[in-house]
Amino acid sequence: MKRSYVGVIGLLIILGLNIVFTQLLVHQFFYENYEAVLLYMGINILLFPVAIFIYKKEKNKGGAGKNGK
Amino acid sequence: MTDRNNKIPFDEDNYTHNITKNNERQLDRRGFMKTLAGAAGVFAVASLPWGAIAAKELMGLADKEYPHQKIVDLKDIAVGDSIGFHFPSDHDSAVLVRLTDNKFVAYQNACTHLRCPVYWVKEEETMICPCHHGKFDVNTGAPTAGPPRRPLPEIIIEVHDHAVYAVRVKRYEA
Ligand code: FES
Repeated sequence: MKRSYVGVIGLLIILGLNIVFTQLLVHQFFYENYEAVLLYMGINILLFPVAIFIYKKEKNKGGAGKNGK
Repeated sequence: MTDRNNKIPFDEDNYTHNITKNNERQLDRRGFMKTLAGAAGVFAVASLPWGAIAAKELMGLADKEYPHQKIVDLKDIAVGDSIGFHFPSDHDSAVLVRLTDNKFVAYQNACTHLRCPVYWVKEEETMICPCHHGKFDVNTGAPTAGPPRRPLPEIIIEVHDHAVYAVRVKRYEA
C-alpha cells in the first residue's frame, strides 16, 4: 500500500514553472523583449513533453493495484 | 437506461461500484496526474501565439522604419496644446504635445493599463487616463499615478519645413 508521490510532485512543480514562465512571457511581450518571449515560449513548450514523460513513467507506480508495489 | 445500473459489478474500474476498492487510489492519483499533464499542454499551446507574434516582430523590426508622417503644421499647434493623430497605423492612436516653442513629445496614447486613451491635460501639466485615473509624466511617458506600470511608447518626432513629423516608435527599455 505504499504510494508514490514522486510523479504528482514532479508534475506540480512543472505546473508551477508553467505559471511562472507564462507570467514572465506576457510581461516581456509587453516590454517588447521578443527574444525573451521566444525563450519563455520554448521553455513552456519543452515542459509539456517533460510532463508527459513523468506521467508515463509514474502512472503505474504506487497505489494498491494488482501490480502495486 | 436505468437498468444499466443494476448490472453489478461493472466490468471496468469505477468509483461508484468499486466495492472491493481495487485500484481506487491508483485511479485517483493517475487521474490527477493526467490533469496536470494536460494543464502543461494547455500552457504550451497558450504560449504559442505570443511567441509567433514575437518572432514576427523580431524579423520585421530591423527595417521597421515607417514612412515619416506629417502630424501638424507648426503654426497650428500652440505651446501647451496637444493634438491627436495616428501612428504608425490607422489603429494606433497617439497624441502630440507641444511643451515649449521647440520641444515636442508624442506618445502612443493607449493606456498601458487597459488601453483607454490617455489625454494631455494642460491645466495639470500631465497626461491623464480617465478610466482609472492613471497619470503619466509628459516628459518621459513614465507612469506616475494610478494602475499603469509601464511607460507609454514614445514616438520620435522631427520638426522641419515648418511642420512636425512622426518618425518612428521608440522601443521600451525594460
Ligand atoms: S486604462 Fe488607464 S488607468 Fe486603467
